[in-house]
Amino acid sequence: MNANSGVVVVAHELKAPLSLVRQLALSLDLEDTPEARREISRQIVSTSERALRQVEDMLKVSRLDDALFEMEPVNPRAVCDDVVDELWKLFRFNRRELKIYYRNRRRLVVANTQLLHSVIYNFCLNAMNYGGEDLPSEIFISDKGYDRIRIEVRDYGPAVPTRIWRQIKDGVVKKPTEISMRPGSSGMGLYIAGKFTNYMNGKLGLTRHRDGTSFYIDLPVSGQLSLV
Amino acid sequence: MGRIFVLEDDKGWEAYYRRALRKYDLAFFNNGIEAIAAMDEEQPDLVILDVLLAGPTGFAVVHEMRSYPELENVPIIVVSSVKIREIDEKYGILKTFDKAEMMPSDLLSSVANALEVA
Repeated sequence: MNANSGVVVVAHELKAPLSLVRQLALSLDLEDTPEARREISRQIVSTSERALRQVEDMLKVSRLDDALFEMEPVNPRAVCDDVVDELWKLFRFNRRELKIYYRNRRRLVVANTQLLHSVIYNFCLNAMNYGGEDLPSEIFISDKGYDRIRIEVRDYGPAVPTRIWRQIKDGVVKKPTEISMRPGSSGMGLYIAGKFTNYMNGKLGLTRHRDGTSFYIDLPVSGQLSLV
Repeated sequence: MGRIFVLEDDKGWEAYYRRALRKYDLAFFNNGIEAIAAMDEEQPDLVILDVLLAGPTGFAVVHEMRSYPELENVPIIVVSSVKIREIDEKYGILKTFDKAEMMPSDLLSSVANALEVA
């Protein structure tokens, strides 16, 4: 991404939540009841937190080359639980549900907790945005052969275009553009997830279903036993 | 109570519209194809749309709508992060708002005016 196009994409990514926060703040005065104002306040907080997380992720991407993120044994269940704890209110607010299923043995992966959290978080936001109304988004943690663990986030939304599917299948996560790859998306979340996945020696992929899409990350199993 | 079709794929903005326009009869679509198909079944009194949408853009939806005689006069309000003033006159857009500059009261009055005229 050259400097100019990068700035444009980042600006566009941040303009949407900032515009919404402004709009919500202005609309507080138009509401008569405390309950309505509380609801708006909650949306302001959740929208701001999402925007902040986007900024933090972009900063992490800029620091990857400095190798500031240590690889360590990480419990994938704990990371996914944290993501669900962080996002369930936002999902409920948007009339969505986020479920988690453990299908793996209790083993650790070699990863960085912060980066893995960001990858799963981005997958989940993607699923929330594109999943059908009143349909759940689902996180699956499962063994992938003897030496890898897969963390997968499934939605029941529109299929990912063939062009994007091929790019991911071929291991090429394109730089984000102003043109959306899925509705309303610059591809920034996927780009960040791809950078973090590569850093952790993982594999990013997606599965197209008849009724939705699963994004997944495969990570190597750690030799250290899980104490959790 | 007017029937309003809202084409918006940002869940946060959708939640905002649900609250701000709760006294109206709203139907939400996150892509233009579904919205146009729905207009085949039912003609809305007003359409509020974003420009960056799934599949066809808001521009394409407006163009498509104006190609059907029965949808030719349905008022359209565009609320988007993208500056699109150049299409206002050509397609008879009632009002164009930049999401970063819109005042909630202006949106409400524009909707009320549009439904009054419709």
